[in-house]
This record gives sequence, structure tokens and C-alpha cells, in this order.
Amino acid sequence: MAQRNGLLEGIRDLAGSAMPSGVKELQREIADRVRKIPTMLNEFGYDAFGLHPETASRQMLAAALAYRYYFRVETFGIERVPPGGVLLISNHAGQLPFDGMMLVVAMLLEGEPPRLARGMGEYWIPQLPFMSWAAERGGNLVGTPENCVALLEAGECVMVFPEGVRGMNKTFDQRYQLQRFGQGFMRLALQTGTPIVPVGIVGSEEQNPGLANFESLGKLLGMPAFPITPMFPLLGPLGMLPLPVKYRVHFGEPIHFDGKSSDEDEVVQQKVDRVRVAIDDLLADGREQREGVFR
Amino acid sequence: MEKVLITGIAGGQGRLLASRLMANFTVCGVDWTPWPNPPDEISVYTLDLRKRRFEDVVRTERPDAVVHLGMIRHFKGDPKRRHDVNVRGTKQLLDHAVEYGVQKIVVVSSGYVYGAFPENPFYLDEEHPLSASRSYPEIRDLVEVDSLAAAFLWKYPHIRTAVLRPVNVLGASVRTMIANYLRRERVPTVLGFDPMMQFLHESDIAEAIAQALEQGLQGVFNVVGPGQVPLHTAIRETGGQATPILEPLFRPAIRMLFGAGVVPWPPGALDYLKFPVTLSGERFAEATGFQPLFGLAETFASLRAGR
Repeated sequence: MAQRNGLLEGIRDLAGSAMPSGVKELQREIADRVRKIPTMLNEFGYDAFGLHPETASRQMLAAALAYRYYFRVETFGIERVPPGGVLLISNHAGQLPFDGMMLVVAMLLEGEPPRLARGMGEYWIPQLPFMSWAAERGGNLVGTPENCVALLEAGECVMVFPEGVRGMNKTFDQRYQLQRFGQGFMRLALQTGTPIVPVGIVGSEEQNPGLANFESLGKLLGMPAFPITPMFPLLGPLGMLPLPVKYRVHFGEPIHFDGKSSDEDEVVQQKVDRVRVAIDDLLADGREQREGVFR
Repeated sequence: MEKVLITGIAGGQGRLLASRLMANFTVCGVDWTPWPNPPDEISVYTLDLRKRRFEDVVRTERPDAVVHLGMIRHFKGDPKRRHDVNVRGTKQLLDHAVEYGVQKIVVVSSGYVYGAFPENPFYLDEEHPLSASRSYPEIRDLVEVDSLAAAFLWKYPHIRTAVLRPVNVLGASVRTMIANYLRRERVPTVLGFDPMMQFLHESDIAEAIAQALEQGLQGVFNVVGPGQVPLHTAIRETGGQATPILEPLFRPAIRMLFGAGVVPWPPGALDYLKFPVTLSGERFAEATGFQPLFGLAETFASLRAGR
């Protein structure tokens, strides 16, 4: 095992020396930002939810490269995210969750202080070897209400995509049309008194245009969806690569809601709709401002 | 001075607890295995909790309080006997306690009773269902013991009963499955999984039991230690070497070897090497002011000290 560790480290060193200096600098920048994330670590470098910042900063490199050079992400209004417990509520699209990754990198590289946006994952993620601990070391948790409450009460920043797969796997003709929002996030916000920051992500909706979605085929294969795009499944896994669209991430003003988490559906739905409208406005403004899908 | 009876007093945990309680209590105890040369102040009876003689001891000693540690927490022997000792032993103990006027009871259950599942939230509180039997039928005796004690708690509210569910206890004297597992040179793990785990020093669990007893605590409480680390870190820190094994090979191998009596790990235990069972200790800390004295590093080192 010691030998194998040596080998692994050797490969890592080799990869490190072969890295262009720009990449190395980005890795240093990430590590530096990750160190500034306001979170309590124990003597072994883990926080109370299994986050390991050292591992997280290594994981973040690929996403940060995509952020800088592929999607060329621009953020607007990130200073509106208040310190302490906060919910980032965003639209969700593009077949694969690059929008989530870009939001995480945005909060890390552009937020002051840098924040780690925590993802609330699907129940099957902890059952996959490697994925299970990679997700946890990166600061993500299974999306149970208990976990979300615990994170918010610990003053963490949690991102939620209330459209879920409905948004992610919708077809291209529905781009920028928000799908039905779940109510869970609002009930948790009310329960914990957490402010909500609406986020509109422009770009992801065009990254992987869905022509159709064969849900039942996906279910058969154990996947949440089976999208057909101009490139998938035609080009195999390669066809899942997103187009080099330009991302624009718009943060809205934080909204504080009053009420009981146990209120009737209709009462909670009105509050959910306020968030939905806020995201819709951010998306409309963002699309008006841009010059094209790729620039 | 109040008199306390400790079941399982001859084990390492029992002896630690006895010496911790000696200052404030008259201590007596029972155990299946003998304790040669106990301190003079402590009367020790070697007996089986399920047998008539145990009742005689309770009748003559008339303890004010009972701490129930006397359970089998490994799989080295016959699983049917383990189940019977743990469940029927607990039942007898609770019955005698009512019969002979015991006023305080501490039952040391286990944090494992919640079960290891992928959908477990990060911090389980005491209201979480006890689902361990679903994936780990071999420890249903612990779940039954816990439920017996909890039912007793509501049935006899005039007896101060505390059910403690500690996280993984480590120490030189600890002979539980997890402690024996971490004592190995090469420690098998499931490839691609590294769940967060909580640990507690053997002296700290003794302290927690003592505080529950002294304060006459009533209710069900998780007891957690100084924090959590991934399994692989725990293995490294206790001086072992992790050997990750592909699950499709590991699980059938364990099933076969456990069936043949070669390894003392039931297949259901594998899930505890995959998914987290991390507990919230808030309720106990608030009720007693308990804070573990030993940090994680010391807790890991205490296991090595027993080698």
C-alpha cells in the first residue's frame, strides 16, 4: 500500500510538473480561496459534514478551468449573497449539472469571502463507489431535509434547484421556461429563517439542446432521464460534452420570508412563486444584455 | 452511600466504570466471566443473567441503581446464544429491578441501532427510527434490547431509566467488533467508500454513564465523542493499513467466511464501512453538560496502547 501511495504521488507529481503554469496558478488560487472559506475544521482537517478542503480544492480544478476558459463565466451581483446561512435558488438546465458546478466555482472564486455552495445530492449518489466520498469531501450531502436544516443552522450556503430533473432534462424548445418548482426549499427557509437569493443562470439552457427525453428508457437503464441531443447518443459519451456557450450568472436581492413551515400548500406556493418570478426576471434581463449564445 | 450494581463488571469497560463509581457509590457487580482479585470494596458474583442466581443477588444486594453493560458485542460465539444473552438477560434485569425497588437504571445500548443507510442524514437524533435490522439482521438483538429499555422507560416512569446510544468506543480494554477490526494490521475496507465515523474514548463513555447515573437522567440519549473522521483516517491513526476490496468480491467472501466461522464479521456489518451513522449528541450534552475529555488523536492512540 505504501508503494502504491508512492506511485500515486509520483503520478501526481509528474502531472503537476507537466501542467502549464497558468493551470498551476489557478490551482494555487483555488487552494488559497478554499482556505478562506469560513468553516470549522477539526484536527484532521475535516468539517462537521465530511468536507475536506484540501481534497475539495483538487476536485475544483477541472470545474475552475471550464469556468475560466470554456464557459467564460461572468457573474453579476454576487455581493448580494449575505454572510451566514443562505439558500441559493437557481434555474436548472442542460442535461448535465454544469450549472451547479459553475455556481460553486463562482461562489468560491468571486465571492467575498469565498463561500462553498453546498449541493444537496440525490439519494443514489452515496451508493456509487468513489462518487460517494468524492461528493462528501467536496462539501455536498444527501438532500434530506435534516441535512439541509443542519447546514443552514451551521451558517452554510446551500444551493437548491427546485426544478430538479424536470428542468435539467427538458427539451430545447422549453429553454428559459422555468418548470414546476418543488416547495421543499421554501419550507426549510421558513423553518430556519434563512434568506433566499434567487439566481438566474444564462447559458446552461443552450449548452446541450435536448430534442427529446425518453424517460421510460432512462428508468430501464437506471438513469433519471434519457435525453436525445444532436450529439447524444450519436457520439456516445463524447456526445454529452456541452457546447462552449457563455455563462452569465445573475444574483438577485436576498428575500426574507415570514410564515410557518407547516402552512398550507397554497400559502407556501405564493412564496415559491415570488422566488420563481424573481429568477424569471433575472433570466429575462440576462438574455437581453447578452450579445449572443457563445459570446 | 447509594449502591450500584454493574452487569458485565469483569470486562474492561465494567472495571473502568467500577473504579470511576467507587468514590460516590457502593459498587457490586455480576459477570459471566470471573474477575480474579477485584478491589476489596467491590463484591463480584460470577453468574449468568438468565439464571435464578441473578435474582438472588439482586434480592440480597438491594442496589439503588443498576448499570447494564453485560451484553455480548462481538460475533465470536454462537449468534443464537448472543441473542438470548442480550435480550433475555436485559428482560430479566428489568424485571428484577421493578421487583426489588431499583430507582435508577442506565442501559448502554449502541449507536448502531439506527442502521447504516445511504439516505441517512448527517446527524441522527434520538427520534430517528431504529432500522438496523433491515440490512444487518445479526444485530437485531441490540435493537430489541434498546426497544425493551425504551418501553420500560415509559411503563415505569417512577424509575429513572436512561438508555445511552454511544458512538464507536475505542480503548485498550474495548473488545467490540469495531475495536477488534481496527486492531488488525491489514484492515479490509470497501473500495470506493470512506464513511465519516465518530469515536469516543473508553474513559469518556465511563464518565458519561457516571454522569447519567449521578444526575438520575431519564430518557434516550446519543452519546458522541470529540468528532468525526473518515474510516480510512481512523485506520491510519490506529496504526493499521487499509486494504480496499471490491464489494462484489468482499460481500460474498464475508458471507462465506462468516458462515464457516472463520471471521467474526456478519455480512450486514459491511454497510457500516460504506454509509455514515453519525449521531447528534446535543440532547445528552444539554441534559448533563457532558463534554468528552479525550480528543480524537488520544482516542485513536488508546486503542494502540492495548496492543
